[in-house]
Amino acid sequence: MKFINLLKKELRELINAQMIIGLVVSMSLLVLIGGIMGDAIEDAVSNSGDVYICDQDNTEFTKRVIENLNAMGYNVNEKSVTKEDSVEILEELNINSLIIIPKGFTEGILKNNAASELEYISRIKSTSAMASLRDGSTSAIESIKSIISNLLMQEGYGLSEADITVLENPVNLKEVTVVDKKSANVSASTIIGMASTQGMIVPIVIFILVMFTSQMIISTISTEKIDKTLETLLSAPVSRLSVLGAKMLAAAIVALINAVAYMIAFSSYMSGMLGSTLDTTAVIGEALTMSDILKELGLKLTAGGYILLGLQMFMTIMIALSVSLILGAMATDAKSAQTLVMPIMIFAMIPYMISLFMDVNSMSNIVKIFVWLIPFTHTFTAINNIMFGNWPVFWGGLAYQFVFFIVCMYFALKLFTSDKIFTISLNLGQKMKLKKVKKG
Amino acid sequence: MSTILEVKDLSKQYSKVLAADNVSFSIDEGEIFALIGPNGAGKTTTIRMISTLIKPTSGDAIVNGYSINDKPEKVRESITYLPDEAGAYKNMTGYNYLKFMANIFTNDKDKAETYVKRAVEMCGLGDRLNEKIASYSRGMIRKLLLSRAVMTYPKLAILDEPTSGLDVINALEIRKIIKDLANKGMSFLISSHNMLEIEFVSDRVGIISKGKLLVVGKTEELKQRYNVANLEEVFERVVLEHEVY
Ligand SMILES: Nc1ncnc2c1ncn2[C@@H]1O[C@H](COP(=O)(O)OP(=O)(O)OP(=O)(O)O)[C@@H](O)[C@H]1O
Ligand SMILES: [Mg+2]
Repeated sequence: MKFINLLKKELRELINAQMIIGLVVSMSLLVLIGGIMGDAIEDAVSNSGDVYICDQDNTEFTKRVIENLNAMGYNVNEKSVTKEDSVEILEELNINSLIIIPKGFTEGILKNNAASELEYISRIKSTSAMASLRDGSTSAIESIKSIISNLLMQEGYGLSEADITVLENPVNLKEVTVVDKKSANVSASTIIGMASTQGMIVPIVIFILVMFTSQMIISTISTEKIDKTLETLLSAPVSRLSVLGAKMLAAAIVALINAVAYMIAFSSYMSGMLGSTLDTTAVIGEALTMSDILKELGLKLTAGGYILLGLQMFMTIMIALSVSLILGAMATDAKSAQTLVMPIMIFAMIPYMISLFMDVNSMSNIVKIFVWLIPFTHTFTAINNIMFGNWPVFWGGLAYQFVFFIVCMYFALKLFTSDKIFTISLNLGQKMKLKKVKKG
Repeated sequence: MSTILEVKDLSKQYSKVLAADNVSFSIDEGEIFALIGPNGAGKTTTIRMISTLIKPTSGDAIVNGYSINDKPEKVRESITYLPDEAGAYKNMTGYNYLKFMANIFTNDKDKAETYVKRAVEMCGLGDRLNEKIASYSRGMIRKLLLSRAVMTYPKLAILDEPTSGLDVINALEIRKIIKDLANKGMSFLISSHNMLEIEFVSDRVGIISKGKLLVVGKTEELKQRYNVANLEEVFERVVLEHEVY
């Protein structure tokens, strides 16, 4: 049948070694990422029974509350603090969250029959989705509220039943969020929600940019190769360095124009979102805008932060360009040229996904090194590293990227100044067919 | 007459084929030399080595006094190369392509202008030069590229299958241009598998098959030596003769 004949030809063209390798690689990557994520979630959940409480009130009533909390399955660790400042408190105890029952807590509820204030300090280290999967303190606070309500209901504590207005809402929560060495009176979930939009959109922009610039270079190199205009250029009295340099510079300029346009759009979008005034449940005290709070915590990108982010992006684009030079040189026809962007896509996709969901810095060492070896990882974690002040990781990543870039450029130059550019090809399918023909 | 190109035992081993096997010949100033041979004979491979695009496995070629191995950048100043089945930048107009290439060959604005003027005249594309190359036919592109290859009056123009894709009239015109330029002192290394055409244009030919340059000589000499009427028959005889062994 003619149709079957046509179908066979189309299938043979689509199902080739490149496609199968691509499939295998992306599948094993998904499995790998799944494994990493599973471990990370397990880690996060296994710690969730631990609750740190500092009972400054230290009355019969608060002791009973803590006893009840223990009975509910929480692993309550009692701590005492000597410091005033939230940042110093967490540092002193070397923990990431602490519930403080202040002096006068019992008195407020039992004597004044009013809601008392409970303080909750927590530190956030990243804005990845996994960061919101935190220890058990948040649910412990809910449990404390219901324990208090139950105690009041069952035992009365001398309050007349009609009086127990406090039953409804016995606790006012004062949340303090610590970032690096700064703190602000705002709930961690608000911060993560806000900062993660910032941390979510930048990677998307970077991902688009990387793909866009890579595709650009791969297609110019491969069309020059296929049309043989490259042969004309390389046999002309012009230095090969300038041929390559012009290509890279042009692509870098286009990419940077794009980057700047995206960043302007992005920052105006962010200022629109951050400008809104928060309601008073999120912030105790004066009405602040989210922008003020992020600034207070050092989470808002300053001009310097934007410059560093720009530097990162530039390095990333240069890597994408140099790798693409090499990939583009491997094209033998228009179809293979399209699939050549695959390796870049895969190696941009892994860190992109990981950075969306997890904090790379808190992963286990082996996994971390593996992920860090992918140069684009440092791009996707850059904004978190800048916001949370992980400077060694940021600069280390940038240095690694620079070395990676130099190595790639070295190979690209070697490729273009030798005759390899005209003799290499990555057409695995063809090679396999050749072997078959020889054997057969 | 001085020698422009001297090819000395040039060989190229690809991973699986020995595409050129100790090829030696030379071209004098103002001479048109044609490499003829069947498909896959090694013509393009030999030409690419002389054009400094691929490095020979062994052997050397001296172009205008410079070795392709030691001074490729000097060699590039004396040659132009027209690849087989080449295209051009599709988004450029023909005119802009000529201008772009002229400025690749020289930094001098006036010189570049002269080059472009020559090419415009030679290619005969007229107003079509202002259209994008994407809209050109195969033959039009070939003529554009050919005029580009000779517009700088290089010492040695290396043309791989210069008239492929051209109709009889255009091919004739191109041959005339090549002859005129050779009379002015330009040397040509061209390849073809169209023997009859080559007979008209070339001063000397080299017959290459399976990477080996079998015979080199003036067309008339070869015809006499083998006692045949045309180059095609010479070719047939030579190839058959060598296959016996
Ligand atoms: N890049 C390459 N890698 C491996 N083998 C090659 C390569 N280029 C050419 N060859 C092989 O070298 C041999 C000579 O090829 P070449 O292109 O020089 O022939 P040609 O004489 O120009 O043929 P045609 O008339 O078809 O253009 C062929 O067997 C070809 O398959
Ligand atoms: Mg050829």
